[in-house]
Amino acid sequence: MKANYVSGGRAASMLDPDGAAWKDARSETISMIGTPLGLQPTEAIRASWSDKSIGAVSKVSVAALHDGKQLAFRLEWDSPTENREIGDTTAFPDAASVALPARKDAPLITMGMPGSAVNAWYWRADDEGKARQVVAEGLGTSRTVDTNLVAGRGVWKEGRWAVVLSRALRVASDEPVAQLAPGEKAAFAVAVWEGSRGERGGIKAFSQNWRELTLQPLPTKGNS
Amino acid sequence: MAKPERQLAMVMDLNKCIGCQTCTIACKRLWTRDEGMEYQWWNSVNTQPGRGTPRDWESMGGGFREGKARPGRMPTAKDFGEAWNFNHEEVFFGGKGDKVHLEVKGEKPDWGPNWDEDQGAGEYPNAYYFYLPRICNHCTHPACLEACPRKAIEKREQDGVVLINEDRCRGYRFCMEACPYKKIYFNHSKSVSQKCIFCFPRVEQGVANACARQCPGRVRFVGYRDDKEAPIWKLVDKWKVAIPLHPEYGTEPNVFYVPPIAPPRFDENGNADMSKPRIPDEYLASLFGPKVFEALATLKEEMAKARAGEKSELMDLLIAYRWNEMFGGLDRDPATIEWVET
Ligand code: SF4
Ligand code: SF4
Repeated sequence: MKANYVSGGRAASMLDPDGAAWKDARSETISMIGTPLGLQPTEAIRASWSDKSIGAVSKVSVAALHDGKQLAFRLEWDSPTENREIGDTTAFPDAASVALPARKDAPLITMGMPGSAVNAWYWRADDEGKARQVVAEGLGTSRTVDTNLVAGRGVWKEGRWAVVLSRALRVASDEPVAQLAPGEKAAFAVAVWEGSRGERGGIKAFSQNWRELTLQPLPTKGNS
Repeated sequence: MAKPERQLAMVMDLNKCIGCQTCTIACKRLWTRDEGMEYQWWNSVNTQPGRGTPRDWESMGGGFREGKARPGRMPTAKDFGEAWNFNHEEVFFGGKGDKVHLEVKGEKPDWGPNWDEDQGAGEYPNAYYFYLPRICNHCTHPACLEACPRKAIEKREQDGVVLINEDRCRGYRFCMEACPYKKIYFNHSKSVSQKCIFCFPRVEQGVANACARQCPGRVRFVGYRDDKEAPIWKLVDKWKVAIPLHPEYGTEPNVFYVPPIAPPRFDENGNADMSKPRIPDEYLASLFGPKVFEALATLKEEMAKARAGEKSELMDLLIAYRWNEMFGGLDRDPATIEWVET
């Protein structure tokens, strides 16, 4: 997939899922699968999900843009209900994340491994506007490393979520997070949680493999 | 999870509990007054037989069966019983005190914690009930801890207290499904799970749990499992009259109960009928497992001894002549400490 370069007013609208920048951005439909039961980190979770299907969302339409400073992903998927509030103990919010390998060899299926982290940008519907940057080095190890570097916004309309997750290409952080640059290649994966089905934590739909992401080079002077 | 070096425990003598809820309120005042905790009762006292708190918790699964995790169900806010708002303003300050009465505002609830208080079971004159106070059992094999995918629950090395780390918890509530005692609550304002902390900030200062110190019935013993000089070890290991609730759940609780012995039944002529107990044996066994019979036999034997004027260490312990000897040395007066609220 390509993250095209946008500038000016279009760049400014990039954080808005309905923003003009996304109108003609090329999106790709990515098919999703549920995380395997055997890889759920605790026996209790494996026991309670053994007879339930995992990964309610089967496809997500993804587009990406950058403005030389920020990289933004826009995810759109079918979700019959807007699960924003945790009104009852049995209710769970919808959520989405974009994962990027902090190092090239980070395995996606186990959410990284010791010394080779997966970096995730995470948005949850009950925490609107407060997206998190997460680092994981293996199953069950994910931890929030900051709550101010990633921006996330979700809009639910007529049975569909549109969510934008964005972050500066390069960030000052002591944590193993992805550092990106225009003109370079990166990799990404996406995950979606359907709250109405009790999906949370490792119970989610994900895009199986790392996908290549090419960040369009900055335009050379006089050619913009 | 490493085995803790020591284990704090509690014994509750069900023959002495009067269902006054002082323990419940002591805990509420101390720990669960913040926003999002309105409906939380880390300590609850219910009438048995009864549906309990949360409603029908014993049928919700969780824990372990033959050593394997058993799927558990999530109690709903209604099962727990929502925090009600009352028309205090109207009754006390609205000048209508003679026309209105105190009631829940909004939708009338059809359930709440302690909803079936004093209903019990059986037929007059042989009806029966007793009170069952419950807290988190700070289990040796904590289903909550083992279910959490984020390793947000720890069992403390120094005393075996089971705590949820709210910084790691992301509110996924797998622990609430897994705990077979349904003693974990979800805080809707902080989006984290919360539970009884065994008053660890007090215990660390040598002060027994608030529920135990405040109990007017002298029901609750506190202390380390391995302290052979203190009541816990004597009641649990030496006399074996204190046993866990639902041992079949497989979590190895560290809260133990002295099972209740009710007054004798009456026959049709109004005479004491000693042929069978008022509280059916099967019912007690359904709560405490078969070890309850041994415990009841020992209790009856020692009661008879005491009645005959003989000395009984067990009866002396259970009577608890000096209340601050019930706490295994955790008998410091909290008023001697300057507490800071953080
Ligand atoms: S009673 Fe429940 S919450 Fe408490 S330690 Fe045991 S399993 Fe965990
Ligand atoms: S345990 Fe003590 S304080 Fe709690 S209800 Fe029973 S008698 Fe009252």
